[in-house]
Amino acid sequence: MRVRPFTSRGYVGGILVGFGVWAVVAAVAVGIGGRLWAWDSVAQMRNVLALRLEWVMTASVVGAALALAGLAFQALLRNPLAEPYILGVSGGAGLGFILCQLFLSVVLAPLLGFAGALATVVIVYTVAQRRGRIEPYTLLLSGVIINAVYGAAIMLLTALARPEQRGDIAVWMMGNIGAFGPQWPLIVIVGALAAGVAALFALFAKGFNLVAVGEDTAGALGVNVGRLRLVTFVAASLVTGASVALAGPIGFVGLICPHLMRMLLGPDHRRLVPATLFFGATFLVLADFAACLWEGAGNRALPVGVLTAMCGGPFFIYLLRTRWRRMMETR
Amino acid sequence: MAQDDGNPLTAAVPPAGGPYLAVRDIVFAYGRGTPALNGLSMEIGRGRLVTVLGPNGSGKTTLLRVLVGLLAPAAGEVRLAGVRLDQYPRGALARRVAYVPQDTHSALGFTVLETVLMGRSPHTGALGFEASGDWLAAREALRMTGTEPFAERSLDELSGGERQRVVIARALAQAPELILLDEPTAFLDIKHQHAIYGLLRRLVREGNLTVLCVSHDLSLAAAYADDLALLDAGRVVATGRPGDVLRPEVLSPVYDTPIEVRTDEATGRPYLLPRPPA
Repeated sequence: MRVRPFTSRGYVGGILVGFGVWAVVAAVAVGIGGRLWAWDSVAQMRNVLALRLEWVMTASVVGAALALAGLAFQALLRNPLAEPYILGVSGGAGLGFILCQLFLSVVLAPLLGFAGALATVVIVYTVAQRRGRIEPYTLLLSGVIINAVYGAAIMLLTALARPEQRGDIAVWMMGNIGAFGPQWPLIVIVGALAAGVAALFALFAKGFNLVAVGEDTAGALGVNVGRLRLVTFVAASLVTGASVALAGPIGFVGLICPHLMRMLLGPDHRRLVPATLFFGATFLVLADFAACLWEGAGNRALPVGVLTAMCGGPFFIYLLRTRWRRMMETR
Repeated sequence: MAQDDGNPLTAAVPPAGGPYLAVRDIVFAYGRGTPALNGLSMEIGRGRLVTVLGPNGSGKTTLLRVLVGLLAPAAGEVRLAGVRLDQYPRGALARRVAYVPQDTHSALGFTVLETVLMGRSPHTGALGFEASGDWLAAREALRMTGTEPFAERSLDELSGGERQRVVIARALAQAPELILLDEPTAFLDIKHQHAIYGLLRRLVREGNLTVLCVSHDLSLAAAYADDLALLDAGRVVATGRPGDVLRPEVLSPVYDTPIEVRTDEATGRPYLLPRPPA
């Protein structure tokens, strides 16, 4: 792929294209998705479309948040397979969220979700670090193990919960959009966080590129690597925790979206940050739309987390056979 | 600019005069181990090619990392153009000093041109937009290092020698005054070793750059460098012209092995005789 100059004009153009693609897909998903339910009156139509809009916006903000978090983890951990779900960050957020919802206060649940996500990043990072370097295998393995521990803890909580709460926990853990009541305030919060984190990462993008090449190189080119890493991990944990509070732990969005954008645009994070923001939003809207069509065809509702995991698993294997190999050989 | 901080050294060394790079009594230790740098002092004039020599673990790489601002010395001070190193903002220092580290892999498949353009990072704005000047600098750096033919190739497809030249090109694109290189000729065959040193020599002569380079190859260093500095246990034990440093009575105790030195009649520069110790 030929490298083209990175200019402000191309940047604005790219953002407009990304926004346009998302807007068209979202409009189609609201309109056609809504048409699957027959309506008799204008009032009914308004209700159906309002509900579809809420779901599509949920999918958009959650998709954008998870895709950005995945991109940041891949850049800073220098690992093409890093992703909030695989690293256990989503699981940590889920555990904190359920714990709070069952035993403490429902209002504070997103906060504890964020705390769980951040704690997991710290644990995984510490375990995988040796003499200042992140070992790629250990990183993924510690993600696997911490996910297993969280899985057990969530099963324990489910067993301790009242029977009528168990169904809710199970449905939520599948990664669901719109399974629970109206959530506009939370949608707005997650959306604002995702937009803020995207802006932050756009400013960090130069640094992401340099850290991907090497931490000493980044430091010598004027990047404050320690601060970049700290702020990025906190920001990525924040959006992951918030999106888990909204839609449960949806996996592999943070893996699929950044890598598809890399295949399209190359490895430059200055281009990848805005691209991943819009594509993450678009991707999860599409996945939710597919689940909606499935339901419209007369089947039972399909949790969107199931769908993304079914796409993401094979994609993970593909990356393992291609990117991972190349990375280990050139190391 | 030098600030009057009451330090007599500041008054004594005006920014314009004095050595370009002055290192005084710096101490640095990783963790609580023995100091990697233990009262190291040296001076480097502008437009010189200086090679730092020394046994394994003598503090060569640590010295470079201090000079580029990656490590802060526990004691002593470094002055660049008369100003203390820790007074430079990160970006300002990166516009003056470039660093070519030893391991030069790229995990995410950047091309050669993209890699070299990263050298422009301290010169671009927050979002990293590139002006035509940035591309000119990158193209010029590719040309000077002879890496233009593979500008569009991915960095991890290149051989060790090619990759080393690309990383030097990135340092050149940075438009620095001083380039620090950590063993740029390690893992390279003799032809590429000469190519790298020849390039450094040319950069000093034509580009008015100052180059500080760490090496294990004493003969090669003596053949190209203006000055040598010999490190042992975190100090400079000898410094000066190659003929002054490459002497058996200086080298043998530092390397703890008998060393014989000859002089190349054609150039007058010293070289080591590769003779197995008796």
